[in-house]
Amino acid sequence: MLSEEFIFELSDVAPVGTVLYQEHLKLTDKSHMAPFAGYLMPLWYSSIGAEHSAVRQAAGLFDCTHMGVLEVAGVHAAGFLNSVTTSEIDDLSVGGAQYSYILDAAGNVLDDIIVYRRAEDKFMVVVNAANELKIKAYFEGLQKNQVVVDTIELDRKLKHKPAIRDMRKSAAGDCRVDIALQGPRSQDVLSALTEDETLREHIANLKFFGFIEGRIRGIECLISRTGYTGQKMGFELFVPPQKAPQLWEAMLQSGKSLGLVPCGLGARDSLRIEAGLPLYGHELAGRFRVSPFEAGYGWAVNLQKDFFIGKTAMEQAAKAYDMKIARVELPGTKGIRPVRSNDGVLDISGECIGWVSSCAKVDDKQFALVYVNKDSANENNPVGVYYLARSSSQAQQGRQQTVQKGQRLDADIVGTAASRFAKL
Amino acid sequence: MLTLWARLQADLQNYERRKGMVVEGLLYTKEHEWAKVDGDIATVGITDYAQQMLGEIVFVELPALEKEFQSHDEIAVVESSKAASDVYSPVTGKIAEVNSVLQSEPELINRACYTEGWICKLQITDNKSIEGLMDAKQYQKFLKGL
Repeated sequence: MLSEEFIFELSDVAPVGTVLYQEHLKLTDKSHMAPFAGYLMPLWYSSIGAEHSAVRQAAGLFDCTHMGVLEVAGVHAAGFLNSVTTSEIDDLSVGGAQYSYILDAAGNVLDDIIVYRRAEDKFMVVVNAANELKIKAYFEGLQKNQVVVDTIELDRKLKHKPAIRDMRKSAAGDCRVDIALQGPRSQDVLSALTEDETLREHIANLKFFGFIEGRIRGIECLISRTGYTGQKMGFELFVPPQKAPQLWEAMLQSGKSLGLVPCGLGARDSLRIEAGLPLYGHELAGRFRVSPFEAGYGWAVNLQKDFFIGKTAMEQAAKAYDMKIARVELPGTKGIRPVRSNDGVLDISGECIGWVSSCAKVDDKQFALVYVNKDSANENNPVGVYYLARSSSQAQQGRQQTVQKGQRLDADIVGTAASRFAKL
Repeated sequence: MLTLWARLQADLQNYERRKGMVVEGLLYTKEHEWAKVDGDIATVGITDYAQQMLGEIVFVELPALEKEFQSHDEIAVVESSKAASDVYSPVTGKIAEVNSVLQSEPELINRACYTEGWICKLQITDNKSIEGLMDAKQYQKFLKGL
């Protein structure tokens, strides 16, 4: 009996360095490297704060070569993606990218993705590093008809069986990994490296979520105006893995005078939190099973489509939801205890209305993304936070280790609900 | 030429950020606390390795004066923007003094973990509790094995 829910157990593996590992060791100490989704990645090079502000004011370079990159190709590619993603693939023209979701039949979000249309019948799908193995297994299950795709028509099968391959590791064919270049000066950094004048012009004319393919310093490059920092100007560069260190080093060198610095996972997180962007497992899916509608991304679920896996569940989710993700600004000067995930979020009366899902310190402020009652934490509302026990002795002294909605608690720190997304 | 220069710069930076500076004359724990024993007073802090691992420290919870701790008891909490980390007492004793400057300048631990960034002083009540601690050489060897 097949389940409507796609269950995938990730096995423990020792973390390995990315293709840029040796580059990181030139720039920072080994003790700044931490395991993340099976890779050893730099948490920071100089400091999270300095890297964060470099991206807001100049430019930052991120190792995103851990991100999964899949190719879906052939005459069945568009049909397949139309069935397995929540967006309308026919709306996507060559040279365009689309933010979307992959769901199981029960409507659980398996991943949030970006689909790039490189040709009518050739797509590049970028998935979260932590979800890559799950998505590969899911696609394989779909190809072999081992997965339920419709909760009503249980024996429904996908008609479209495209060619799917891992673009980071394939023995043959075009291989790509992701390096992100983000910030107001990122276009200048890129221009300085691009000898080809036409390409330079194309890059300058790229629209948000548009991309162009060309060569930078002789390296094949898919250059897209996408990113995860909330910055209007920013690129992701998809290059052959064996050429990634060369491009990384060239960009850092030539961009140095423009203020470009390498950025670690710490700044990647604080930038996306300040901007209000969701992270899978925190503001999407995860222990609260946050839906795209609750996350504020209902627009990426196209309910007008005839069919996509999970559509029935999404129709329900769109109609009735009583929680939402909100963004809260809190004081964060030195000596203020930082807010952490799962801390209780309180309204002005001290009633627990939800939980912190992510938090980051930015200069003298803290930004928290919170999962709260939909009718609460509207922009400019005061919002309190109750700190969960940070140590066992605090717990012994009566500080709670978990909190429930509806509980009455005393706020340890008070802030203000901000707009859902930062206006950067 | 440029590449060579960049390499040299990177090497220099790496040299400055070498793994966990260790100071002679202090005693160390496997949890990366240090103690400087002076008569019956032990000054306590966290090591360079620990502050490097934590990153920018933004908050320190200090123990109450006069409070008594066994060695390995939680004595303080040091929080960076990424993690909250318990500090365990390297010795058995009573809190004689706390470094209250850390409340407004927690980053002192990042800047000078063995000097201005000390956390508290304990009056040692059990001299045996010092015996299990590592000296600088032993701790350095312990760090290499991590």
